Amino acid sequence: MKHLLEYENMKIAVCAKQIPDPAITVTYDGGNIARPDEQVLDDTDRYGIEVALQLKEKFDAEVTVISMGKLGTQKGIQQALQMGADKALVIEDPALENSNSLMTSNILSGIAKIAEADVVIFGTESSDGYSGVVPQQVSRYLNLPCVSYVKGIDIGEQIVLTRQTITGSEKVVMPDKCVISVTASGVEPRYPNFKDIMAAKSKEVEVVELSALEFTAEQNQEFVEIKSISSEKSGEKHVDEGDGFTLIIEKLKEIKAI
Amino acid sequence: MKSLLIGEVSNGSLSAGTLEIISKLQENSLEFNLVVIGSEEGPSIGSDSFDVTYIKVNPDALSLSGVADKISEKINSDGIELVLASSTYVGRDISGFLSVDLNSSPVSNVINFEVNDSIITTTNSIDGGESEYYTNVTSKVKILIVRPKSFEPVDVALNNNFTTLTIENNDLTVDVHDIFVEEKSGPQLEDSKIVISAGRGMVDVDNLKYINELASKLNAAIGGTRAIVDAGWMPYSQQVGQTGKTVKPDVYIACGISGATQHQVGMKDSKFIIAINKDEEAPIFQIADLGIVGDTLSIIPKLIENL
Ligand SMILES: Cc1cc2nc3c(=O)[nH]c(=O)nc-3n(C[C@H](O)[C@H](O)[C@H](O)COP(=O)(O)OP(=O)(O)OC[C@H]3O[C@@H](n4cnc5c(N)ncnc54)[C@H](O)[C@@H]3O)c2cc1C
Ligand SMILES: Nc1ncnc2c1ncn2[C@@H]1O[C@H](COP(=O)(O)O)[C@@H](O)[C@H]1O
Repeated sequence: MKHLLEYENMKIAVCAKQIPDPAITVTYDGGNIARPDEQVLDDTDRYGIEVALQLKEKFDAEVTVISMGKLGTQKGIQQALQMGADKALVIEDPALENSNSLMTSNILSGIAKIAEADVVIFGTESSDGYSGVVPQQVSRYLNLPCVSYVKGIDIGEQIVLTRQTITGSEKVVMPDKCVISVTASGVEPRYPNFKDIMAAKSKEVEVVELSALEFTAEQNQEFVEIKSISSEKSGEKHVDEGDGFTLIIEKLKEIKAI
Repeated sequence: MKSLLIGEVSNGSLSAGTLEIISKLQENSLEFNLVVIGSEEGPSIGSDSFDVTYIKVNPDALSLSGVADKISEKINSDGIELVLASSTYVGRDISGFLSVDLNSSPVSNVINFEVNDSIITTTNSIDGGESEYYTNVTSKVKILIVRPKSFEPVDVALNNNFTTLTIENNDLTVDVHDIFVEEKSGPQLEDSKIVISAGRGMVDVDNLKYINELASKLNAAIGGTRAIVDAGWMPYSQQVGQTGKTVKPDVYIACGISGATQHQVGMKDSKFIIAINKDEEAPIFQIADLGIVGDTLSIIPKLIENL
């Protein structure tokens, strides 16, 4: 049985990726997602941040937001701090533009080390890049156990994480040093109130220099082209006037589905 | 190009995702070996046409980093240049670990690929399937994580001709307890000819009774959007879309689904799509073969009654 005391004074690094406002259609600049100055916190990361904050409340953990990419107005970083994280360590460098997943995880691992993190928390996949392997890569770089696809945390006599699996779910006791990826369900991310929003303004955001990190990953993917395969379907559309169901039944018969 | 496929066991055989990638490799006459990860006893996953190694893991532990150690060794000693895995939980974990060992970033969500000498060109689907994105992978070792249902599964004769490796626990192993297996009854999403999916436009969880009734009348499998899975109306195993399952049935009936790109990715290749939505402008209508603009709660009960 793992004693709760083992988690005292834990330091947590939690990812906050800034992405273009998801309400606006993604545009590409060559093969790369165009990034405006104002980017927002990826919703996917709110779940990881929520888990980090639950641990903070229970164990007085220090929570550092870590982020890589175009900083711009830092709106997304502020949103993460407003939820309740203590400070942020961020990096922006021309050499990191359009990083592949390995370059991203290499850098995030280095920043997690600067934060002296015992536990590093991720979303399972970002909304704009969705390579979905960054948490696993970071665990490998840091040589920490990887608890992926976590969809629930229960802090009782032990800290129990519930993992999503292909056939259902399973539970593990959280190691005191590990990498966790959190799915977008299970926990309910908190919304900051006015006081939280004001408090975030005075939290420290430290910019890390690339030269401070050991950077060994390389670009191995060359953009070729984007091809539109837009197959505007010439499907039929009918407004239901009480007969909608008959149209469906006729169609199912026509295509021999029934 | 010497290739290694990372496969998985499912119900005593190779998983569908594994069989799909085998079909692509064979079609392109690529020489490959297979490592298969699983915890089942005595599966039938061997073959006379390629080399199979079964890496047997303990279901009571998270030990995939130890599995990755073994596979990395094999990749180096066999001079492997192309590594493929299906985009499943296990496939993603393993590919992520391997990519660090091999200093080669994987290409995720691949739906097709082409081999030209030492370069591989991969295809990704973007904009909810409206566009295809092509990339050349230039590293010596290339890792591709392939979306399920990208290729037709091959029909191969499987036997017991394989070697088994077991994995010892190491420092990074985490014990697992309380394994919960979701009950699976009725037609399954992946292989049903008809899929009926529900979205927030079913208004209330209680109204899913209509979806159940309709599904049993049509012998269909049931899916849902992430919105309703997150709301707890349905288990995650029934989520269709980018972060859920990919389905390609003969008929897909979308009930009260807006048709966000992340949902479309998982169903747009269905042969015939029927959509019911009260909003005439809902994006789902752009990909529907038959769209009915109207109230799910009035149309579906009548549909059930008259089938
Ligand atoms: C990284 C990421 C991954 C994601 N992965 C997935 C995924 O795998 N799968 C997925 O589905 N989503 C996914 N999403 C979420 C996706 O963007 C949408 O939010 C989700 O699909 C919307 O679900 P919905 O259509 O049920 O709800 P809504 O978008 O709210 O749509 C409900 C629809 O119902 C209609 N409606 C309401 N009442 C009625 C009525 N009485 N009769 C008829 N129609 C009615 C409305 O007009 C509306 O169009 C993902 C998002 C992100 C950021
Ligand atoms: N540039 C980034 N900055 C901070 N966190 C990131 C970044 N890229 C990825 N992540 C984290 O890694 C997870 C997986 O990302 P991805 O590999 O892009 O799907 C995300 O949900 C984030 O938590």
